[in-house]
Amino acid sequence: MKRNLHTWRYVSVALLLAGLGIAILVQIIRIQNSPEVAGVINQGDYIWKDFFPPRGEIYDRHGSLLAGNKTVYEIGLDLTINPDMPTVMLAIQMSGLDLNEVNYRISLATDNAQYIILDDFVSAEKAEQLMTLQKAANADPTGKNLDAIYFKAHYGRSYPETDLASNALGFVTEDNHGYLGIEEKYDNILAGIPVRILVPADPRRATEYPIIPPGQTIILTIDREIQAAIENILDQALVSTDASSGTIVVMDPRTGEILAMSSTPRLNLNDYQSITTVFPGETPFNRAISQAYEPGSVSKILTMAGALDSGAVKPDTVFFDEGSILVGGSRIVNWDGGAWGYQDMTGCLANSLNVCLAWVSSIKMDSDSFYSYMQRFGLGHATGIDLAQETSGRLKLPGDGDWRPVELGTNAFGQGVSVTPIQMVMAASALANDGKMVYPHVLYAQIQDGKQSNTRTQIVGTPISTKTADTISEMLANALETESSTALVPGYRIAGKTGTAQIPLSGGGYDENDVNASFIGWGPVDDPRFIVYVWLEKPQTNRAASVVAAPIFKQVVEKLVVLMDVPPDAVRLQMVGR
Amino acid sequence: MNNVTQIVKKVRQAPWRVQHQWIGLFLLALVLMAMIAGIYLNITVGATLAGREIQRLRNEIITNQRVNADSETQLARLTSVEAMLQRADAMAFQPANPDEITYVAVAGYTAQSAVDLSTPGKTERVVPVILPEYSESWFDYFMNQQAASASAGGPP
Repeated sequence: MKRNLHTWRYVSVALLLAGLGIAILVQIIRIQNSPEVAGVINQGDYIWKDFFPPRGEIYDRHGSLLAGNKTVYEIGLDLTINPDMPTVMLAIQMSGLDLNEVNYRISLATDNAQYIILDDFVSAEKAEQLMTLQKAANADPTGKNLDAIYFKAHYGRSYPETDLASNALGFVTEDNHGYLGIEEKYDNILAGIPVRILVPADPRRATEYPIIPPGQTIILTIDREIQAAIENILDQALVSTDASSGTIVVMDPRTGEILAMSSTPRLNLNDYQSITTVFPGETPFNRAISQAYEPGSVSKILTMAGALDSGAVKPDTVFFDEGSILVGGSRIVNWDGGAWGYQDMTGCLANSLNVCLAWVSSIKMDSDSFYSYMQRFGLGHATGIDLAQETSGRLKLPGDGDWRPVELGTNAFGQGVSVTPIQMVMAASALANDGKMVYPHVLYAQIQDGKQSNTRTQIVGTPISTKTADTISEMLANALETESSTALVPGYRIAGKTGTAQIPLSGGGYDENDVNASFIGWGPVDDPRFIVYVWLEKPQTNRAASVVAAPIFKQVVEKLVVLMDVPPDAVRLQMVGR
Repeated sequence: MNNVTQIVKKVRQAPWRVQHQWIGLFLLALVLMAMIAGIYLNITVGATLAGREIQRLRNEIITNQRVNADSETQLARLTSVEAMLQRADAMAFQPANPDEITYVAVAGYTAQSAVDLSTPGKTERVVPVILPEYSESWFDYFMNQQAASASAGGPP
């Protein structure tokens, strides 16, 4: 009897536990198969997610930020929760958002739209104002809330130096594409790739989320301080000479690193939408690479270098200037129409005698030799500088349909041939760098996975010998000293050449009123650290480059020697001798 | 034959004892199932919480990166050329001219070179490593242990 009683108790407990277990199992199965849970799992299994990797930053050669990123907001409206539109619009207006833009976007929404983007790339300040309003509205139980307003933070481009080096930098539009300059040229490495992908919603699979790499950071050869200095000098020069535009390029002739590059006008890159106003019509964004022009007498340095290198002339070769010369049946005269009598080659350069240089190219050299050297200096071909929108200029060659024999003479002094400032700088680098012509570039280094890869110096050719390069540099330095040029900088020996060029008219012939004034020079002559190219378009106060362009070159060099720690020649040689 | 029957009858379990055994077995199975379910639940909850934490930290990283970018840009704006020139001007500094500079030879001085933004000590990208204990089966575990002990104690 006692055993039976125990059995009953045990059976009861077992049945109870079994029932409980079965109930739990049934409940688990019921929950797993319930339509609510099934719906959640099916909908949440994978979700679309946007990844906006930051665009790579751009630094100058000393680590100052030229282009960075900032937080901006996409502001949207969730239509599924029936927003109170008057309240929403009032809040938007109070936040300082563009109401017209918002209304326009709302008008584009379809009837079955669930979400509208009211505005994008909204500044953090405005978005925070709207967030504050939203919080205040939501805290008021009697008022209408602004729950339907949705904020999505993402990156936007920011240029802390506004318009500094803008012609070289370019800009990024709201679709994260770089336009012009560095931003366009290196868009593929700067831009991280924004992706919209399906990711598992299950938190246990969080490790399956992809790691979207950010854009690569790059360092430019540009020196911010030098850039600011030359922009300031250029701005003042435009005022003092009343020129229509100006360009200054500074390059290290040993490496091809562009230290500064500026042309006018410049653009506040944070307000790139104003580009059509700042650059009306066909105005080039960066004249240093995109505007070819007839350089005039600055290109005499290339003619003379070719003639010296080929052995056609020597520095002491004497030419008797009668004031004119016939080349290809056309008469060529000097810039002043005068006859300068006996001149050695240094005198020809110092006095910038067209007749002498035409004699050198057409009599002492021949067309094959002359054009061979011009091509070796890279004329007629783009330099390949790593900036978008470079043009190549034009060097007409014998055999071309529009080449005329007189151009063998005129090309010798830079008329009838078009170049960009960067082409002239690259060509002149051969003269300043022992005959080795360097590839001009703006990219100093790129950073990938924390490692910095520096750009190597590239020699693109050796158009002349070291001896010729040294000789022409000496001749040019002597020429500047002989004429007591306004380009001379006390304490520093500089080589250089002015250029006052006529401007061809589209219908043929040359402009009688306006000229292009240029100066190209480098220094210190025995150990060049910089090449400077100055170009003023249509200066009005004076036509002579020796009056308007040479002093600007001097101002630039005076800044450069300070910013680049280049001591005066005497001090430097004394230090080297220790 | 009778003797045999008598012996079987003497050693045969009592019915209540058999019932107890079945109930015990059932309860044991139930407890085992409950333990397995509990462990599964515990691990799942732990994994889910860890996953949520990963998601939260990822979002935090993204937010921090944006804050860093904002701060860096703001710092750059505050130290821009224009801002620094204004500050220098306000402090009565003026740009030096070449003739105002005295050069002094300093032994070992090297001129300012371009910046190096490499991450210090950075060699390779670090990828998260999942220990084999979290992924290998019991069979793999025993095989690896055996291989490890064989290599440790094997012939030289």
